[in-house]
Amino acid sequence: MTKRAGIGFYILLIIFVFLVMFPFIWVFLTSIKPQGEIFSSFQWFSSNMTFENYASALETRPLLLYMLNSFVVATLTTIISIIVASFTAYAVTRLPIKFKGLILGLVLAASMFPQIAVLSPIFNFVTDAGLRNSYLGLVIPYITISLPLAIWILSTFFIKIPLSLEESAKLDGATPFQTFRKIIFPLAAPGVFTTAILVFIAAWNEYLFALTINTEDSWRTIPVGISFYQSQFSVPWGDITAATVIVTIPIVVLVLLFQRRIVAGLTSGSVKE
Amino acid sequence: MKQPKKRRFQLNERQLGYAMVAPSIILIAVIIIWPILLSAWNSLFDYRLNDPSKAERITSLSINLETYADNRYLVYDTMEAVRDTMPGAESTLDNITSALDEQHETLLKTDEGLADRYEEVNTMLENYQPVNDDDLRLTEIPEAWTDGFTAALDEQTAAVQALREDAPEGAVQPLTDLESQLSNTKNAVLEPNFVGVKNYTEYLGNGRTWTAMLNTLLFTVVTVGVELAIGMLVALLINRVFIGRGLVRAAVLVPWAIPTAVAAMMWTFLFDGQSGIMAYYMAQLGIIDDPGVLLSTGAGGMFSVMFADIWKTTPYMALLLLAGLQTIPRSLYEAAAVDGANKFQQFFSITLPMIRSAILVAVLFRALDAFRVFDLIYVLTGGGPANSTESISVYAYKLLFEQQNFGAGSALSVIVFLSVALLSTIFIKLIGSDLFSGRLKQ
Amino acid sequence: MKRGFLMVALLAGLGLAGCSAFTSGDGASDDKVQITYARGTDTTGATDILVKEFEKEHPDIDVVVREMPSDSGQSHNQYVTMFSGRSPEVDVFDADIVWSAEFGQANYVLPLDRLIERDQINMDAYFPATVEAGRYNGRQYAMPGYADAGLLYYRTDITDQVPKTWDELEQLAQENMGKEGAEFGYLMQAAQYEGIVTNAIEYIYSYGGQVLDANGNVVINSPEAIEGLNKMIDIANSNFVPNNVLNFKEIDTESSFNEGNAVYARNWPYMNDTANDENVSKVAGNVGIATIPAGTAGNASALGGWMRMINRYSDEVEASWTFVKWMSGEKGQKISALEGGKAPTIEALYDDKEITDVSAVLASEDFYNSLQNAIPRPITPIYPEISDIMQIEISRALAGEITAEEAVKRMETKMQAALESVNQ
Repeated sequence: MTKRAGIGFYILLIIFVFLVMFPFIWVFLTSIKPQGEIFSSFQWFSSNMTFENYASALETRPLLLYMLNSFVVATLTTIISIIVASFTAYAVTRLPIKFKGLILGLVLAASMFPQIAVLSPIFNFVTDAGLRNSYLGLVIPYITISLPLAIWILSTFFIKIPLSLEESAKLDGATPFQTFRKIIFPLAAPGVFTTAILVFIAAWNEYLFALTINTEDSWRTIPVGISFYQSQFSVPWGDITAATVIVTIPIVVLVLLFQRRIVAGLTSGSVKE
Repeated sequence: MKQPKKRRFQLNERQLGYAMVAPSIILIAVIIIWPILLSAWNSLFDYRLNDPSKAERITSLSINLETYADNRYLVYDTMEAVRDTMPGAESTLDNITSALDEQHETLLKTDEGLADRYEEVNTMLENYQPVNDDDLRLTEIPEAWTDGFTAALDEQTAAVQALREDAPEGAVQPLTDLESQLSNTKNAVLEPNFVGVKNYTEYLGNGRTWTAMLNTLLFTVVTVGVELAIGMLVALLINRVFIGRGLVRAAVLVPWAIPTAVAAMMWTFLFDGQSGIMAYYMAQLGIIDDPGVLLSTGAGGMFSVMFADIWKTTPYMALLLLAGLQTIPRSLYEAAAVDGANKFQQFFSITLPMIRSAILVAVLFRALDAFRVFDLIYVLTGGGPANSTESISVYAYKLLFEQQNFGAGSALSVIVFLSVALLSTIFIKLIGSDLFSGRLKQ
Repeated sequence: MKRGFLMVALLAGLGLAGCSAFTSGDGASDDKVQITYARGTDTTGATDILVKEFEKEHPDIDVVVREMPSDSGQSHNQYVTMFSGRSPEVDVFDADIVWSAEFGQANYVLPLDRLIERDQINMDAYFPATVEAGRYNGRQYAMPGYADAGLLYYRTDITDQVPKTWDELEQLAQENMGKEGAEFGYLMQAAQYEGIVTNAIEYIYSYGGQVLDANGNVVINSPEAIEGLNKMIDIANSNFVPNNVLNFKEIDTESSFNEGNAVYARNWPYMNDTANDENVSKVAGNVGIATIPAGTAGNASALGGWMRMINRYSDEVEASWTFVKWMSGEKGQKISALEGGKAPTIEALYDDKEITDVSAVLASEDFYNSLQNAIPRPITPIYPEISDIMQIEISRALAGEITAEEAVKRMETKMQAALESVNQ
């Protein structure tokens, strides 16, 4: 934080932000054009602004239901993986167990495996368990993605908590689990929250399992549902752009509210402090 | 676990540690490691779902009673149709009947209870019920019977073929059907389809695999390289105090946070040859000849996919690097300035070494993501045109679910997995202990 | 400690209860039989009416509609995933006409012969190609659903001359281009995707060539096929098609034609609706349709459309069959035609005035003839691979990288290798 910002800087900054946001801007502008103006028209602004695309987007597909599904699946995934992962991260960072390196290595390896490699066995497993087209049917495979991620990030937060607090709790006669629950977990709460946001976003965005496992329309999530506006020979860009705007709004809100935490979580693994 | 009052059963720290690690390890073992091992096992078989004789992993010579009974019914049914339309076929048909019946009786004698199982399967078929129970459906058979069975079928197929030569017009269709049904009956015999590493050797010798591999590598190198370069520039630019930091940070996080599938959908619209604004501007600026080339030529497709990825992840990369930059003490730069080092020298002698591990970790995670790329390509180009944007994950997906070749598809999945493992080993060697240091001890 | 555990247990319990409550939501009620009918997205609402009518006639059967991706390739992959897991979740489904051999061979779908025979369904009532497309290895795996066939569109405000042959098309396109702002003489689909195969089939078969013969042998390397392919190369490289015709798909053809940029265009029947819709088209009211031009061996229109199949693992075969039979029968097809504009596969329905009143396409004798002469694409369990080979080689030939002779030779070799690796 050394330099002061001048006018030139702000101009560069505005250009950069504009370039990054351009696709959204264009998609938004398209979504409020009437049908006839969308095709082959490169006018930025339409003289006949309309919200008919929004009405049509919400009418032709159950967009809000897709969002609800995404929300429920992502929330369940987040709760389960945060609970399980915080246990593991705590044990690995603060308890005297063997094979810590091996366990972390395993977690890292698990976070690197390609989803495609487990798609068909997982699909058969979920089918046999009768969990196709249910929330749990997606939550289970999503744990493959979110659990390693959560352990990895949480462990960086746990390690930062001073050991002295635990020592004094121990002297007061607390059991190790009480120490974890009463001392460490509350202290790590900001980190846990950050991890939860990242896990939530990862689960919200997942595509391959969602595409394969939940094939019933009422169980589809957003990333898959949005591709269903297309019909065999035509692509209704009006509806699609409107739908894109609608599904982007919650993400924008989430990011605006929690940008500081998200950045903290993203950088937790890569920066030595 | 335990109640606080029962002090006697209190776990000590180490036991608690293992107990707390156990759920994760079990989950990882069951839903990650076990499926990977299963994929690896599948990859050793010539396992194709769209071929009834290879639709499962077979380790010893067997017969599929469902296919057998079904075809047997059909052959007899079609023979009736032939009998009705071609009176001269009588003797051939009698031959077929007696040959098949002879084989049938020998088969039923090869194993005790087989006759009952055959009946059960047959009854299910008559009621249109699928036979899902493998213990009922599959049975091992001796090689001697198989040889006789195949020979008999071949002989009768040839006889039907000969018959067709001078068949009346109405009999041609039933005879053609009969011929293919007879030869299809052979599909009931399931030869062991364990092929060892054949899927690997075959697909590693296949041009399309290498094209996909090269596409993936190219995609990984270019996107991660460009993201790193632009990300670094942006990070250096915004590493200062300015008004609206939070807003800028939020703005650049949005592309990273929206689902890749939604982003890909958006870019399909922007790159579209008819109504895509990006394609239109690029053609106006003379970067491309025609707005259509972006999504319809190999180079254009690759460019589009890379561009969309760079758009989506550069801001993320910039934030990672920015966090690294902010850990560098100001005093270092001041000292360097006193020594007369210019901005470039400062960048190479202070900035880069100080954030080396931040860069490596960022590049590692990005490279692993890029190497496994699926959603973006699948939605944006589907791997086309002409497989020119097909990544190895997309190819594996197509082998698995489009061509239903589970053996080969699994082999490719394993190859992706091994490549990723190799890639990360190299990186971890480079990064050294830094990767774990923040997690194991202080 | 207790509280913490309670909380964890509560959360886990909530999650699980939430899930199970949701999963058990749609159990069948009473003694009604419930079947699931899967199909691509339908924006016309015809499916709902179809199902309602059927349920009225068969109160004991409850049909649940499941939407699949409208993209044929994507829904194919989803069906394969389901059926390879032997899932009974879908009972009846709409199948692209190129799937029958593959799904039949894989034992994913129920052969319908026994049922057709038992209920004495008259298969001769359907257009022959639509029945043939559902047949593989002597078994009928599908009932015809609705049909598509390639059509020639032309601008009635520019010309009333309809080319009968490809040669005439070349000449007329040349003559008429430039009139009324129509920049191009002719539009076709030549991008490297499934569309290039359907276009190529129309050329190859109209000159008497074939891809696979009745026994599944590769016969593409013939003088007739070369002649057809050469005609296609000729047209794709002429000055009356857009110079980026190698990027054209149906949607590009549609938008360009509707913008008034072309005199003639090859497309499926669906384009007639949008081309005559004033909101999106500048040529509304000036659109004529005709059969695809002929080669030396007559007309050949590529057959498209969808068929109905029954999942081999369905638990409700009888109810499914009742539904399929009804949908493919006159009543079902009539509803699809009236409500969804789908072209019936039953020949006799084209005598029904109500149906021919639906659209100019259904009223057109040329369309009826196109269906009579329609060509199904090669029927083989490895159709996706065969199509892939054709897409690559034909696309190269159109780009001038190889000659027609080389293209058919390469296709022959590659197809034989692909077929062999499956048949051994």
